[in-house]
Amino acid sequence: MKVRIKGWTGVATWRWVANDDSCGICRMPFDGCCSDCRLPGDDCPLVWGCCSHCFHIHCIMKWLQSQQLHQQCPMCRQEWKFKE
Amino acid sequence: MSSTTKSPANQEKQWNIIKNVFCLEGTFSLLEGGEGEEEMRQVLRLVQQVGAGQLVLDFALDAIWVTLRKVIVPKFWSHFIVYSKQKNDGDDESSEGSVEVMSRIATAVSELYDSAVSFIPQIHKCEMLVDQTGAVYEACVAGGLMEHFKLHLRASLHSQMPTSFTLLIHKFYTAAFKVFYHTQVGNQGEETDETSEEPIQCGGCDAATDACHCQAITNTFCQVNRQLLELDLLERLAGDVVSSLLLGVITDHVTTTCRDSYDQSRIKQLEKWVENIVVGWLEVVYCGGRGQLSSADPAIQTLVTNSLNQTYIAALYHTYTTTRIDQLFNIVIEYPESQPALEDIRDCLDRTHLRDRLVSSLRSAIQTRLLHPGVNTTDVLHAYISAIKALRVLDPKGVLLELVSEPVRQYLRGREDTVRYIVTSLTDESCSELCEELLVATPLVLDDCPTEDDPSDPWQTWTPDPVHAHTLKSKSQRTADIISMLVNIYGSKDVFITEYRTILADRILSQFNYNTEREVRYLEHLKVRFGETLPLLHKCEVMVKDVADSKRINSSINSDENPRREKQKFPVSCMILSAQFWPSFKEERLKLPEEVTRDLDTYTEAFQELKGNRTLNWKPHLGQVQVEVELKNRTLNLTVTPTQATIILHFEGRSKWSIEDLSSVTQVPKTVLRRKITYWQTQGVLQEVETDVFVLVEGEEAGEESGEATVAGISSPSLAPPAIEEDEAESVMASAQDQREEELQVFWSYIVGMLTNLDSLPLERIHAMLKMFVQGSVECSQQELRAFLDRKVRHHHLIFTNGLYKLPKN
Repeated sequence: MKVRIKGWTGVATWRWVANDDSCGICRMPFDGCCSDCRLPGDDCPLVWGCCSHCFHIHCIMKWLQSQQLHQQCPMCRQEWKFKE
Repeated sequence: MSSTTKSPANQEKQWNIIKNVFCLEGTFSLLEGGEGEEEMRQVLRLVQQVGAGQLVLDFALDAIWVTLRKVIVPKFWSHFIVYSKQKNDGDDESSEGSVEVMSRIATAVSELYDSAVSFIPQIHKCEMLVDQTGAVYEACVAGGLMEHFKLHLRASLHSQMPTSFTLLIHKFYTAAFKVFYHTQVGNQGEETDETSEEPIQCGGCDAATDACHCQAITNTFCQVNRQLLELDLLERLAGDVVSSLLLGVITDHVTTTCRDSYDQSRIKQLEKWVENIVVGWLEVVYCGGRGQLSSADPAIQTLVTNSLNQTYIAALYHTYTTTRIDQLFNIVIEYPESQPALEDIRDCLDRTHLRDRLVSSLRSAIQTRLLHPGVNTTDVLHAYISAIKALRVLDPKGVLLELVSEPVRQYLRGREDTVRYIVTSLTDESCSELCEELLVATPLVLDDCPTEDDPSDPWQTWTPDPVHAHTLKSKSQRTADIISMLVNIYGSKDVFITEYRTILADRILSQFNYNTEREVRYLEHLKVRFGETLPLLHKCEVMVKDVADSKRINSSINSDENPRREKQKFPVSCMILSAQFWPSFKEERLKLPEEVTRDLDTYTEAFQELKGNRTLNWKPHLGQVQVEVELKNRTLNLTVTPTQATIILHFEGRSKWSIEDLSSVTQVPKTVLRRKITYWQTQGVLQEVETDVFVLVEGEEAGEESGEATVAGISSPSLAPPAIEEDEAESVMASAQDQREEELQVFWSYIVGMLTNLDSLPLERIHAMLKMFVQGSVECSQQELRAFLDRKVRHHHLIFTNGLYKLPKN
């Protein structure tokens, strides 16, 4: 007997490769979206800082805009720099 | 006569004259009315002279009354007393036929009539006496002495009426009515009934057709009625019978007319029928067959019209409505075919007071015919939907519906598959009933959201709720559309959307159809009906978008430019889901064969490259595989589940496997494995040679005695593949119960904490404390909590003694 697979349609869930499950700002899961968004994934991506903390991009932008003097990571208080 | 009237002899003579003229001694037999006008005038003058007017009148009337009481009335009744004796002796009701009864009554009545008529000259004389002398009598009724006489006749008759008389008169009128009804119906039905053979019996008088005596009966009947009418006795003696016969025939007719057909409006036709019959019959009775009612006495005319409207038409409505109410359950089920019947009922309900009866009767019909375990949920729901529509016709305000449907709603709430069915039929185009409802673009009206009064509602046309509306629901809630009604069975939208989400997930993951157009459309409808902002609907939206995104990602990964395609043995596509937005999946373990895993990993790499920083978690047991199984004598092209594919791939390398071994290689539990293997058994590829051991059945080489091959393959009956088809429609989503269990797990850490600190607690305390600590997040009733804790006890995570829960020591 020979079995040949002609096509395989699988099911998978996607997730962000991050060192945490949920965003430290909005407390929503990374795999969900920030509180302002309706669609997860491409529409509400994550960004990493040099300090290796990551957030929903919308969350960290809002945070940075609210900071008057220093742009700091809300988790570790280091200066916030986007990781390239 | 001279003025010397005072001498005794003269007085004697005068008194005799007076006595004779006025029959003061009651010897009416001599009456011939022989006194001429002149003579009468002289006698009257004489009475006036002696001033004995009052005295003579009293004597004269008294003589008449006594004769009535003592002679005439007993004679009249004697006809019937004989009858009643006969009847008692013979004890046989049918001993006397209608003809005999007829003639007996006719004789008696005409005799009575004659004797009554013979009094008329006497009454006339008394009237003259009253006029001339100013004597007075006790006038009980208006209309002069004649009426007074009739009154006395009636009184005397009634005081001596024998018991058998009513029976007899009933018989008499029944026979007559039968004749009448027969001719009436015969006249009406002539066109339609021509085909029926010549009846042996006359329908009117039950005699043989050639000896029909209908005409005789009618004649006698008319005569009796005429005489009774003239004596003013008809209404008294026979009024009840006359009307009860009519009412009886109305009831019969309505019942037969309304039997089992609801597709026509009957009330107009019935009204006409009743009018014909009633007017016809009363004409016969009150006009004695002497012509039309219009030419009759105005008093009788008003009597007939009044009784027609007040009694018979009202009786018609009553009977009709009660008949229909008894059939109402069927009428409701057959809606919309039964629309005319419903409209009839609606019109009749306004004229009768049968609403309460309708409610209770329909409720009990529903209870006995619908709300029992033998009826499918589908049917209950269909009945409910028909009831909503049908009762809307009856009562646009929805009060009836509210009252009737409460038990149905309560019952549906108790059935597990209600929500699933409702949601399925909402989104299923073949079930147009609900599907069309979904397209109505108005938001739902739910019980739990109090609606403000619509300011645009014109206040001039406002009407108060009917008195029956004792529920607190507002008018708008009662008149909500069908979907709102269905959703209101549970009182919350969430139950429905949760169910919809599960169904949607199932559909996506069983069909793997990337065409989302239809789902998007339904989602839009649902959004309109259930409200844009519902978080659960948002999740559904993401789910549908996942499908569309997957399609795009697949096409980009599998495009020809992608170098990885070379490495892959077979094309892989994937349904990529946003886990947060999907209902939880049934967790099943499955270890895919090496080659498959490799190819899936290649796909994952491609995905990671496409979407930086994101990766895939495969759900190995979900999906759809196209396989080609090449056997010696045939090739199978099949679409199977990953588990089934894995099984057959393992058999490729080794033709004999025990369940045990296969289970350890694939990590699929044995029970599940056994179930999945059945599929290959029905395909004739695998065979169970001994318990839990399966071998590959290759079949013989093509052309080499294929007949024997089949014999070898399926010869021994014990080895024949069991014909159990796997349930393909099995849901891949976790059941609602499992999901709930997961929710309740939230409590577990709290409970453990509580019991660690407080040692042991009763159920009530745990429940109360949970309510305090875990406010609002998850609702949980005490029963549910008890079930949850009991499960924990069964798994030895808890100990339950003396009504207290505590943690096991370890």
